[in-house]
Amino acid sequence: MSQPTKPRKLRKFNLRLAIGLTIVTILAAGSLILPFFTSVDPAAQGTYLKNLPPSAKHLLGTNALGQDIFWYLVFAVRNSLLLGVTVSIGITAISTFLGLSAGFIGGWYERVVVVFMDTFITIPVLPILIVLGAIVRGNTSFFVVAAILIVFGWAWNARTIRSMALTLREREFINMARFSGAGVMPIIGREIFPYVYAFMVVGFINTILFAINTEAALAVIGLSNVVIPTLGSIIFWALNYNAIMIGQPLWIIAPIVTTVALFLGLFLTSTGYNELFAERRGVA
Amino acid sequence: MSIYHRPIRIVVLLAFLLSLIAGCGAPAAGPAAPGEAPAPAAGAMTEVGTPRAETLIVQTFDGKTNAPDNMNPLMSGYAIWRGFRELAWGYLWEMDTATGKSYPELAAELPVVLNDEYTQFEIRLRPGVYWSDGVEFTANDVIFTLDTYFNNRDKLTYFGVPVITNYVKSYEKVDDYTLRVETVKPAYDFATTMGVYTWGSAFNIVPKHVFEKVEDLAAFKNEYPVTLGAYTLKSYDPNGQWHLWERRADWDRSATAPLGEPKAKYVFYKNFGDEQTRTLAFIKNEYDVDTFMSPDSIDAAKAQNPKVRTFADVFPYHDMNDACAYGIIINNLKAPLDKPEVRWALALSLDLQNVGINSMSGQFKGSALPMPDTQITRPAFFEPLQAWLNELTLPDGYKPYNPNFGADMVTRLTEMGVDPAQLPTGDAVTGNFGLGWWKADPAEAEKLMNSVGMTKGADGFYTLPDGSPWTLELVIPSDWNKVMQRVGFSIADSWTKAGFKVNARQVDNAEFTTVQNTNALLQVMVNWTTSCVFNTNFVNNWRTIRAENLKPADSNELITGNTPRIDNQFIFDKIAEAGAMDMSKPEFLEAGQEIIKEMITNMYYINMMNIPTTIPTNETYWTNFPKQDNAYAVPYTWWSSFKKILANIEPVTQ
Amino acid sequence: MKLAQYVVQRFIGYLLVLFIGITITFFLPRLMPGDPINNYISQVQARAGQSLSAEATQQLRDSLAELYGLQGDIFTQYRNYLARVVRLDFGPSFTYYPEPVSNILLDAMPWTAGLLITTTLLSWLIGNSIGLIAGYFNKRRWATVLEVVGIILYPIPYYILALVVILLFAYWIALFPLSPTFLPGPMTWNKAVSIIYNSFLPALTLILAGFGWNVLAMKALAVATKEDAYVQFARLKGTTDRTRMTNYVFRNAMLPQITALVLSLGFIFNGAIQTEVIFSYPGIGMTMRAAAGAGDYNLLYGAIILTIFSVATAALILDLIYPLFDPRIRLGG
Repeated sequence: MSQPTKPRKLRKFNLRLAIGLTIVTILAAGSLILPFFTSVDPAAQGTYLKNLPPSAKHLLGTNALGQDIFWYLVFAVRNSLLLGVTVSIGITAISTFLGLSAGFIGGWYERVVVVFMDTFITIPVLPILIVLGAIVRGNTSFFVVAAILIVFGWAWNARTIRSMALTLREREFINMARFSGAGVMPIIGREIFPYVYAFMVVGFINTILFAINTEAALAVIGLSNVVIPTLGSIIFWALNYNAIMIGQPLWIIAPIVTTVALFLGLFLTSTGYNELFAERRGVA
Repeated sequence: MSIYHRPIRIVVLLAFLLSLIAGCGAPAAGPAAPGEAPAPAAGAMTEVGTPRAETLIVQTFDGKTNAPDNMNPLMSGYAIWRGFRELAWGYLWEMDTATGKSYPELAAELPVVLNDEYTQFEIRLRPGVYWSDGVEFTANDVIFTLDTYFNNRDKLTYFGVPVITNYVKSYEKVDDYTLRVETVKPAYDFATTMGVYTWGSAFNIVPKHVFEKVEDLAAFKNEYPVTLGAYTLKSYDPNGQWHLWERRADWDRSATAPLGEPKAKYVFYKNFGDEQTRTLAFIKNEYDVDTFMSPDSIDAAKAQNPKVRTFADVFPYHDMNDACAYGIIINNLKAPLDKPEVRWALALSLDLQNVGINSMSGQFKGSALPMPDTQITRPAFFEPLQAWLNELTLPDGYKPYNPNFGADMVTRLTEMGVDPAQLPTGDAVTGNFGLGWWKADPAEAEKLMNSVGMTKGADGFYTLPDGSPWTLELVIPSDWNKVMQRVGFSIADSWTKAGFKVNARQVDNAEFTTVQNTNALLQVMVNWTTSCVFNTNFVNNWRTIRAENLKPADSNELITGNTPRIDNQFIFDKIAEAGAMDMSKPEFLEAGQEIIKEMITNMYYINMMNIPTTIPTNETYWTNFPKQDNAYAVPYTWWSSFKKILANIEPVTQ
Repeated sequence: MKLAQYVVQRFIGYLLVLFIGITITFFLPRLMPGDPINNYISQVQARAGQSLSAEATQQLRDSLAELYGLQGDIFTQYRNYLARVVRLDFGPSFTYYPEPVSNILLDAMPWTAGLLITTTLLSWLIGNSIGLIAGYFNKRRWATVLEVVGIILYPIPYYILALVVILLFAYWIALFPLSPTFLPGPMTWNKAVSIIYNSFLPALTLILAGFGWNVLAMKALAVATKEDAYVQFARLKGTTDRTRMTNYVFRNAMLPQITALVLSLGFIFNGAIQTEVIFSYPGIGMTMRAAAGAGDYNLLYGAIILTIFSVATAALILDLIYPLFDPRIRLGG
């Protein structure tokens, strides 16, 4: 509002990003590196005595299945992150391609894409997933889960990117490029892509969250592969064994706190990046 | 939003997480101090406006129903599970679930056999039974029902209609209390087919004076049925969550009058939701009897509320005499499962003690024979076969049976820190944990596997004889049967550790039934249907194991009963032979023992444990439920036992 | 003219979305394993005193196919199905034969609709109001507090949120029932009160779940909008904080939030299904889950079509009233 805030603001944006990145880095690095220090399969049942309280040996105790809650969580964060990133790469690629091409090519091609976009946005996904789950259930390798999430997740991002492309289409420099005889693809690649890039980064981060949360929702109703540790499968097992009632609140609190922390990290990274980028654009 | 606010942010974050943790941790503290039950409120009313002290509240067996108004027992979707069978109806002959014996209910005595071929019977009815609207029940109702079955067999979808119309050849009324029936084939099971075979009856008698006025029987709802039992329907939830029954003023003229006066004036069936909310409601005395709550939740409820009781005070706490057992159905024709060595290797790789401890806190009763080990089957089959089991040797000389299974369980549980006072001693060890099971011996399993050319590959998993990787598909229920789901995952865990690459596939109810009945996708499956023995008549369950019912390994066609695809002429012959025997003769039981030996030698079916049916009770408002030390009936709130329970429970005087 | 074109375009889009949705709905369940006729027959055989003859089985099979509407090849079935859907006739339920699917759905629909409309509106209004205040006064401490609440609530999985709500308000502080009991009979004042009382916890869960994102999004929009020149200009004109916040910032920041609401309707419905299952709430979600479990596809796709229809229609209505708020479309500019 007043003049002196300006430099501080700049610093603050960096700080937001920095905190977000720190949280994400700790979780990602921890979950990627720690598994090399154990030879125990965290998902094997009855490895330890059941229901042990937290101790130096078992940081978060053991659960009703005789698994170490901490180590299960480490593997879960790793797998959930890997799934999130995989899905996010897929969705970002598809939605950017479809969104840009629809916005830029137009015509009946655009109309077809838009109808499918609207359909996938409008149809409530869970009923379809319930049906789909019954078909692929149990055989759900992680790739299948990822594929399902991509199929049902691309439309939102594609919609935003298309509307960005629509406004860009009419801009002066695009028209100039077109008149100077450049092909569609080079124009998209060279002239439009840089503008959409900022959104892609934010969209990418948000999609990771979408993937992790949707997988968790699927796991809770048993539609994902619950034998593999993920943030969702922990919750599935904890609920199945009624963890809260049987005096094992840590079994369920640990994944929730982790999920919230992961979200916080990704959220700060995403908004921080956005603001930083906006600032740079403003400066430029 | 300046950086100076950062500490605030962290404080808020922490405060919020703490309240979340408090929320999750709350039950540990509970509404009352631990060990102290919330006091029942005198003069309290239920949510449906009946005095709590006069109302027995029961968790529904079937959760929620979408057709709560359908009380027409001639149609498939009628609401049988919420009081219809136990409170509202009467049958010619009931079966005592505890003994497996039929007893007359609407009939005056067991069916009288009129010819040596066992095809002609006389049914004598008990006079003095009245429908709830005051009309007397007579042979006219029975004849009318049979007429209705035969005349409307194309329209009526109740499964009993095709059963009875293919079973009965002719019938005639002799007088108001007597009729005669001739069957198509010899019918040694007349009392259980025309009467009750434990879960219900194919022959649901309907009131002539009501149904004869109905034009479209298929569309008739019979919303508030005229009943034969001691209760009538007072009201119900159109959304299918609850049904409220009220005792008939003239209960002493009902079908169940001989059992005595039912003590609860009202019986309220309600779905209390999924297990989390059910546990909470149970602790708070919101209802009296639960069904299928998991052992861990029951332990938690007991710790919170001393009025919550299980069937027994020591391990395994629950009545383990269910008429069916969990086992593993194997597609015996599908390679490599067609080799007995592979099937035995699977049995010896299954560490049942671990499975039971991980999935059910060790609260189960093992059974090595292909049937449940109950008070009915133990003296008939289990005890006579113990010596044979002890001496059983595999072709390589290995003795697979472990008669110390129960004692081992006691040791394991003690090591886990279970209070020794909670563990059985003496004869109760085998009584509660079973007489024995197969040894957990992955080394012997590996020997067996290697003997048929299946060795472990580089990844530590068994390969097919040609060296290609092998994945064993195990079909298990999804969350519609949580206990079996847990058992299934634990089995997969056990086999994986022993070197089998297992894909545990959890499926919905409908798919489960299809897999079970076609067995085509199936390699192995956790199931119970192959092992149900309600009385000593094993033929009732195994009669479909016949050569005609065998389908090729990969066939998708419907299988009639022989789901494990057992292909064994000796077994076929013996079952056919036993089907024509008088079941009261010792030869009948001996034939059963021969069949069992043959099944075990080939390990056609890996039976594991009796279905651990849990029926915890909350004795704040009602006491004298059946318990191990007061076993006047089996504890189920369904089947005939509930009729007895209602006549024996006592209200707690406030 | 522009408005008419907008309405027509929206409507055609709406019909296409319905058509694609209905087609997917028809084919997906057909791929499901589980054959209702075989299941029924095997049930009969498993319990039959003596096995049925082959002719008797075939007879049973034919009559069931006719009853369930499963005759003919899959494309014949698809054509019949489209014709029936237009008449809102979904055939009989398999599990509760002969109860028509439309009856079961009609019983369930008011519950879901009542719960969802109320909670969606409340969650949107409360979330956006809080977001607006937090965004407008974004330098204040409590604004930060509100944002943090939003950040924490948003990622918590639905089931857990419901569980915590149950534990806190039905068990720990026993204000509300653990599981609902709805009384039958005509609607009276008492019955209405009892319905609200019994629906409170599911509603609270849904509001909390939708609330977090609304707060975060609105706050971000409000922060951006209040720096705009015209708001600054209004400030110089001497308008009060309150007027600027509602008349200037909110009116502009609201538009993307309405669009966001339209886009999230499908998501909201997903939440409703889970809520109903956890709270044993008698609605479409419970019906759908049970139908999927039992392989009752007539009921299942009846329920799915109804949800697609409802969500698409709600989106259409919001799109159609959008011009009321957005002068650019209304004025044809």
